[in-house]
Amino acid sequence: MDRSRRQVVKLMAGVLAALGLEGLFARRARAKSLFKSPVHTNYLRPPGAVPEEIFPAKCIRCGRCAEVCPYKSIRPLDLQAGVYAGTPMIDVTDVPCWLCMKCVEVCPTGTLRRVEQKEVRMGVAIIDKHACMTWKGAGLLCRTCYNVCPFKETAIKLDELRPVVVSDACVGCGLCVHGCPVTLENGKKAINVEPIYAFEPVKWS
Amino acid sequence: MKSSRQNQPDRKKEGVKGRGMRYGTIRFLTLLSAFCLIVAAPILNTRYQFDFIQGWFQSLSIGNLWFVSPLEGLESILTSRMIYGPLLVGMAMPVVLALLLGRVFCAWICPISFFSDLLDRIIRLVTRRRYRRAGDPLPRRIFWFALVFELLLAMVLGTPIFVFLSPPGLVGRELMMAVMFGTLAVEGVMVIAVLLMHLVSKRFFCRYLCPLGALLGFIGSKRRLKVTYDSDACIECGICKNACPLSLDPGKGETSSAYCWNCGECIDSCKTGALRFKWRNFSA
Repeated sequence: MDRSRRQVVKLMAGVLAALGLEGLFARRARAKSLFKSPVHTNYLRPPGAVPEEIFPAKCIRCGRCAEVCPYKSIRPLDLQAGVYAGTPMIDVTDVPCWLCMKCVEVCPTGTLRRVEQKEVRMGVAIIDKHACMTWKGAGLLCRTCYNVCPFKETAIKLDELRPVVVSDACVGCGLCVHGCPVTLENGKKAINVEPIYAFEPVKWS
Repeated sequence: MKSSRQNQPDRKKEGVKGRGMRYGTIRFLTLLSAFCLIVAAPILNTRYQFDFIQGWFQSLSIGNLWFVSPLEGLESILTSRMIYGPLLVGMAMPVVLALLLGRVFCAWICPISFFSDLLDRIIRLVTRRRYRRAGDPLPRRIFWFALVFELLLAMVLGTPIFVFLSPPGLVGRELMMAVMFGTLAVEGVMVIAVLLMHLVSKRFFCRYLCPLGALLGFIGSKRRLKVTYDSDACIECGICKNACPLSLDPGKGETSSAYCWNCGECIDSCKTGALRFKWRNFSA
């Protein structure tokens, strides 16, 4: 009896030490909200993702999508993301998505829904006409975003040599963002993907 | 070391067991190969684009065969309140395994078991003590409360929280992070904490806190494969009780309880052959 009590005391000391260590790492996490979705401009979910409302509930953080991604576009979030920790994210300014759809095939929970390439809606690209060199008319005819788009002439068109996004067809893969040569002071590009679909309400069907 | 060598010929002379290898050895080899699998999978996937085997013990696929950890799957269903067919199919196989064989995942596959056994083997080599008694620092019921608490917490937070408290899955994720990004995730501290707990009180996390173990134990409470006890052959030496990593007493029939994970340590330790694995038929 005495011996087992000593064991409990030793154990609690061990747990406290571990928690202290954990707290050291998590100090920065506390500053941020632990329940706020990490998705924002150019920081997106992989293709076919369910809305943010249920994403952290459905995803079991198995990391299979990150493991299978041949471009290493997908990175799991760390513990600082709170409830969202371990869920997959794509920073399209770093590595965009080439829509190989392998992550969609391996997801065991249906968090990444099986959709076709053209049905992917990671977000929608929006051109900042005050930053785009072609739109500003600085004598440059850059059309990198148009050239790299996987759905050229469908999702992005040229209007008098200036790029125009067709919002209904844009999949939000971020290839244009990655290709864009203009980087603003706040880290944004002259074309950015806004994750407008991530915050749609869930359809219970 | 010396005492164990002395014991070995005794057992052979008595000829109680017709097996060549101890269950402990087979189990350690199984644990080792299971660990090698989850080390090899991310390396093969990310370096060589070989995707026949993917994932680890949160979700594993071998070709088209899918496994999903039942607890993670259950939590995903509970927290999202949605049923996804392929998820259920992936969960089916581990559930059937637990129904038939009990908590064998814990004892024979789980990487935490591998690390703990490795530590035990090292300790045994250093201290030359054959058994490190597990002891009962807490009531065993805590195991079930831990599962229920954890499921409720997951539902309150709306996130399958087990993924951060699941050392078997964490080991795999840490390995992937290490292979792919050259970093380790912070939640890996959990693995170290669990192993430290193991050093203080044998298999503390596995016995009292692991919700996956509790779920598998619950599913396997009416399992077919059990360690049976022959009271006629038993000389009540009590070695089996010392050998059990979960501190169960086979002499009291505790190997039939939901807690037993069929590791076979008690069978290995028994000198008289009073304990053995027995398959209970469906009619019985």
